[in-house]
Amino acid sequence: MKKLFKGLALCMMLLVSVVGFAQNKTVTGKVLGEKGEAIANASVVAKGTAKGTKTNANGEFTLDVPANATTLVVSSVGFGAKQVGITGGALEISLASTSNKLDDVIVNVGYGTQKKSVVTGAISRVTSKDLEKVPSGNVAQALQGRVSGVSVAQSSGQPGSLSTVRIRGNTTFTGAGNNPLWVVDNVVVADGAIGYLNQSDIESIEVLKDAASAAIYGTRAASGVIVVTTKKGTQGKMSINYNGFYGTSSPEKVLKLLNATQYGAIMNEKSINDGGAVLYPNLSILGEGTDWQKTIFNTDARRVNHELSLSGGTDKSTFYLSLGALNQQGIVTPEISNYNRKTIRLNSTHKISKIFTFGQTLGFQHSVSKGLGNTNSEFGGPLSSAINLDPTTPIVELDPLKAAAYPASAFRDANGNPYGISTKPLQEMTNPLAYTQTRLGNSSWGNEFIGNAFLEANLMKGLKFKTTFGAKLSNWGDDGFTPVYYLNSITSTLQNSYSKNSNNVFDWNIENVLSYNRKIKNHDFTILLGQGAYNEGNGGGSNATHKNLPITNYRDASFSWNIAATDKTGGAYEFIEHHVSSLFTRLNYNYKEKYLFTGILRRDGSSRFGINNKYGVFPSASLGWIVNKENFWKQNSILNTLKVRAGYGVVGNDNYPDHRFLSLVTGGYNYYVGNLITIGSAPQTLDNPDLHWEQTAQTNFGFDARLFNKINLTVEYFKKRTTGILQQVPIPGYVGVSSRPWDNIADMNNSGTEFELGYKNQIGQVNFSANGNFSTLKNKVTFVGANLDFIADEAASFQQMGIVTRTQVGQAYNSFYGLQTAGIFQTVAEIGNYKNGSGGMIQPLAKPGDFKWTDLNGDGKIDGNDKTYLGNSIPKYTYGLTLNFDFKGFDLMTFMQGAGGNKIFKGLRRLIGETNYQTDVFSRWTGPGTSNTYPRLTTTDANGNYTQMSDFYLEKGDFLRLKVVQLGYNLPVGLVSKIRASKLRIYISAENLYTFTKYTGYTPEIGGGVYGIDKGVYPQARSYMAGVSVQF
Amino acid sequence: MKKNLIIGFIAFFCFTAIISCKKSFVVVDPKGKTLTENFYKTEADATGAIIATYDAIRKNSGGFENMITMMNAGSDDHIAGGEGAADGVGIQGFSNYTLNATIIPASFWNDHYQGIFRANILLEKLPGIAMNAALKSRYEGEAKALRGLYYFNLVRMYKNIPLILTQLTPLSMREQVQAAPSAIYAQIEADLMTAKTLLPVVLPASESGRLSKGAVQALLGKVLLYEGKKTQAAVEFADVNGTPGGTSIYGYKLLNNFSDLWVVSNRFNTESIIEVSHTNLSKTGWGNWGQGTDEGNSVCIMVGPRNYTRPTVSTAPDLQSGWSFNCITTDLYNAIKLDPRFGATVIDVAALKTAGQADYGPGYQNTGYFLNKYCPRKSDVSTAGGNWELNYQQDSYVMRLADTYLMEAEALVPSSRADALVNAVRARVGLLPITGVTLADIKLERRLELAGEGHRFFDLVRWGDAASKLASRGFVAGKNEVFPIKSTELDNTKLVQNPGY
Repeated sequence: MKKLFKGLALCMMLLVSVVGFAQNKTVTGKVLGEKGEAIANASVVAKGTAKGTKTNANGEFTLDVPANATTLVVSSVGFGAKQVGITGGALEISLASTSNKLDDVIVNVGYGTQKKSVVTGAISRVTSKDLEKVPSGNVAQALQGRVSGVSVAQSSGQPGSLSTVRIRGNTTFTGAGNNPLWVVDNVVVADGAIGYLNQSDIESIEVLKDAASAAIYGTRAASGVIVVTTKKGTQGKMSINYNGFYGTSSPEKVLKLLNATQYGAIMNEKSINDGGAVLYPNLSILGEGTDWQKTIFNTDARRVNHELSLSGGTDKSTFYLSLGALNQQGIVTPEISNYNRKTIRLNSTHKISKIFTFGQTLGFQHSVSKGLGNTNSEFGGPLSSAINLDPTTPIVELDPLKAAAYPASAFRDANGNPYGISTKPLQEMTNPLAYTQTRLGNSSWGNEFIGNAFLEANLMKGLKFKTTFGAKLSNWGDDGFTPVYYLNSITSTLQNSYSKNSNNVFDWNIENVLSYNRKIKNHDFTILLGQGAYNEGNGGGSNATHKNLPITNYRDASFSWNIAATDKTGGAYEFIEHHVSSLFTRLNYNYKEKYLFTGILRRDGSSRFGINNKYGVFPSASLGWIVNKENFWKQNSILNTLKVRAGYGVVGNDNYPDHRFLSLVTGGYNYYVGNLITIGSAPQTLDNPDLHWEQTAQTNFGFDARLFNKINLTVEYFKKRTTGILQQVPIPGYVGVSSRPWDNIADMNNSGTEFELGYKNQIGQVNFSANGNFSTLKNKVTFVGANLDFIADEAASFQQMGIVTRTQVGQAYNSFYGLQTAGIFQTVAEIGNYKNGSGGMIQPLAKPGDFKWTDLNGDGKIDGNDKTYLGNSIPKYTYGLTLNFDFKGFDLMTFMQGAGGNKIFKGLRRLIGETNYQTDVFSRWTGPGTSNTYPRLTTTDANGNYTQMSDFYLEKGDFLRLKVVQLGYNLPVGLVSKIRASKLRIYISAENLYTFTKYTGYTPEIGGGVYGIDKGVYPQARSYMAGVSVQF
Repeated sequence: MKKNLIIGFIAFFCFTAIISCKKSFVVVDPKGKTLTENFYKTEADATGAIIATYDAIRKNSGGFENMITMMNAGSDDHIAGGEGAADGVGIQGFSNYTLNATIIPASFWNDHYQGIFRANILLEKLPGIAMNAALKSRYEGEAKALRGLYYFNLVRMYKNIPLILTQLTPLSMREQVQAAPSAIYAQIEADLMTAKTLLPVVLPASESGRLSKGAVQALLGKVLLYEGKKTQAAVEFADVNGTPGGTSIYGYKLLNNFSDLWVVSNRFNTESIIEVSHTNLSKTGWGNWGQGTDEGNSVCIMVGPRNYTRPTVSTAPDLQSGWSFNCITTDLYNAIKLDPRFGATVIDVAALKTAGQADYGPGYQNTGYFLNKYCPRKSDVSTAGGNWELNYQQDSYVMRLADTYLMEAEALVPSSRADALVNAVRARVGLLPITGVTLADIKLERRLELAGEGHRFFDLVRWGDAASKLASRGFVAGKNEVFPIKSTELDNTKLVQNPGY
């Protein structure tokens, strides 16, 4: 860290020196393209000096240069550089566009860069330009729909929450192992920490999708690598940028639930159906009742974002400094759902001498968030409660007689009336307004420094040595005050408590890379040798809880209150360090930039494996051929360029808990003997000393083509095979261990095809561009263990139904597994006719209105053996489309994305008799011919219509979402220059404007560990924003 | 100069590369945990291992899925209760005889096998542990006694179970098949016979909660009775019981006052033979409820009436509200209402409400009668930390002397000693003696004496009365005598589901 601070200090000094230049003479001019079009953002530098500037939107520039300056160097991306003599008057400089624009794109391939034209792997790129119009607070979210082969699903609409990112599908079985490796400026950043990045600080994101590219990060690269490069300063005039927006959010969708009268009628019917009493004899007095969703949803959640950056530099030093502030309210119970983030970034590079260059990046974030505490769970929390609570319970109990019976610790509104508590047995479902009161004093905070410092030595032409020290220092914790509360008879506490926990972790890594580039005639090669050591998880945490504070309001909570020693508890813990040691090498070779080759070899050692299996070797190779450079290639106007590529590589995964190869005895199997709790110790699981690296081998074929001089097309096909998937194996209970052992158990294949299409055209004064991507994915499990037929994931459990998915050979990972419905029995006769071979009834307990289950195994009865695979939560295809128009100063951007071919398990109802229903219950069976899909209502449910997993619970997850629409206007330069700005743009923007889907839950986008199980996911917000960006 | 620089950097690179490849960098030793190979070496290790074996005995009354509330719910004395039909689908399913392989809670099977695993590993390692020889043989006895108890619970609940006596390996674990119930019983007998010779007769207060010789004999007698080996059973019980009403060789004696059995502070009294100890010191929270670090009694919170309140001046007991499980059926109420044990066994909260002495919220299947033996007292509500619901300190009985009296009587009936044993139980509560005690008398006496303690269902099955007594609940003879085996336990194993499920 010291290094980083030194760098910071150095840079601040330089910053001061940049500002203090003297002025001599002024040059003005305009930079134009071949067709006379203005080139904005072109760099204009006085040769031999540090004086430089950039052109404005009209291609104009004004530059103060020393009196003795004679020449300007003008350059711009996509155009060749040009030197122009300084004459007396305004200059008009025209630049020639380079023949193939692809050539200019430099791609970060990990530990180095390469021209896009000679890249042989499947690497997708997103640049700052693509991101600047997406108002997302989270870099992962910003990737959504941008890149083929990458699927991003928000785990929750809670502001600041993480997204679930999958590159080319699920590579392994554990959620953590499926997360891609994030590398920010050479520092490996944990998936959970990526939120520290301020979106406008990002220069580019490269997604290394295939193994041939990712192998350079061998360890943990199996699920793909996302390489993020933050902005650096450029030589020339200091540039100041501000971008900010203000917006309001509301739920994209609310569910249609029964009102009190409808609820009463449905409950009556349900009771009568099983011979019960009429529960609500007088429906007319029930009225509308309570709309619980109204109590939780915020239709005006504010969202503010400011981003300010300064950058510039001399020929010796450059810097980029930015500040960001984001404040976002949640759309659900906003008092306990919001997010506030502040960021600072400083990047700088310094040419110390001809040989040495020093540089650093440092990002800091401070965040504070409040969360609901319980989401996507059928067991309580505001969302689940709002869906499930009966509408007959009032929000606030106004009947003084009833109110008097409420316990003292029930929460009351400002008028002293208690928040209504349902008298129905709804278990965990509690009044959301009262629930909110219990969490007002809860918040989470985090501080994070992530940065690196490097020293690069240009030892001789082509030979470079770079040593990088990267580090991450994080502190985070939770503060919580829980008052004495009474939410219902099973949810109460007798003592208030105030607790804090804090954690700290310091991760560091050192990498040394030696690279040599040489061109001998037409042979161009770069050899890279690297070494890395990575240390994560140095740290731990502690917590303390004080109970029985003499207060009732969370604002008064403090550890300073004098309370009995017995009311104080606390503890501390340490994390387990994870060490990785690596050696890697890469050879890039091309002949005339026509025949391309890349070979990578990486050897990693991980502390997570036993002595015999510590090291894994991960090789890869890829080839490319630029066909249009061949002599036989005839220039034509249809297919302008063509590059074909093929690659194969193997990468590894050690993302599973530590020390699982060791047989460990742990305490915690205690018993109270005499008057003492005595610690009991036993092995917690079976040991497996043979655990080893999980490997993913991937073959990739692709081509890049330019068509009609307007369209860029990239097509990839991949086949990925993961073997020895590290997994906690479900074992029989009679083995007698309390947790499941780990093993390299399963194999799984993924394959898919990806298309990326870019189109750009100009018709009159309208510029139009379109970028689209489309990816398919096929997942198939090929092995789950020598004597296993399938495995089940407890994370995919739903109430008494138990586990609703299965992972079996030949099926996709975690496919939905349950009974198949064959319509509904309309009459008693139909039930009688549903007979088995021996003439017995197959469903003797059924009544008309119950589901007819398919007797799949034909054994004449319905049981667990009739369950089958009912679909999968993994989208078969995902796509994204961005359309850009600009006309004069106006620009319009439309971005939509979607997915399809998947199923969603809709588990919004708590399976208790009295919980509320969505209005689709009106399509239930009420007599012959009324429904063949929605069974009768029943209290006993002897047929298991509602309590058995079946296709009844599954809905199609296809959706197309109009994600962002933004309309902007660049103010005329004449106007803008009056405030000395070079650019001023105002815009209005809408996010999540509309979602086309047939799914009847809140949102079809359900991330999280097990994809596609909706138990009341925090819905996404629809936001409208207005913003401004200014450049000086 | 430049050449030297280049050589220098390359040398540095090679140096760091070699350093970073040192194996020691990628070895991170576990802290706070012991490698199995380093454990099972010392006396302290052995103590930790035997305590871990004891841990599973808390299944009787610890955790939501505990033996007492579960077994009560399936008997004719109680309903499941709770908040609603979905409150504990396993216990509800047992109560209304819709239990199936999906909703049967896995823990009744798993937790007992965890105790067995810990006994097995200790028994395997014990010979190699350097420790006091006498203590070593005592630990062997305790491990075997506990293994016997856990198998006894399993064989009674599931009947067809695999007999595991060694540590299983990933290779062998899926090859296990169910043993004949007789083989399970034979193993239990063998374990208990060995344990009987190894365990101490008297335990100091500092060891209360552990098993003694008398406890093992009592359990062995019970096992033999279940096997129908009445003569052998009576032999074991004779030592435990001694002279009816007197103090036995192990110091067991009926308490004078029946209600004293349920006083929280009255732990390890003279009537207690196998007692599960509970404390609030573990400060259990929802996160570790029912796990190894949870030492609280969960029966108390479960059986308490819902939303219980009482006026400032009231004759009603000062109860803490609970979750209204295990309400007492009208059938048991009618049987016990005139018995002297009624007050200690049942709280008629419905009557208290009618009388204006208390109020409560009826739970699911409410009868208004609550199980007073374990009803949560305000005085027993923990303020020590954790969630108060989970930290009740009342111990529970697995076996107590009145139980062994009645079982010996059952083994000997008709006989004068049977009469004496039954009448000793009756005399303690002031009931007149019966002469010529019959099996029917013993059945009734057991029901009233042991109501709500988790024995009734097993008794009905042993007597062959379950089908008739539980017919109205949906009991199917030949099926519902035992639980279904959890479906996940059949997945990828050689186990076969119990008949009828």
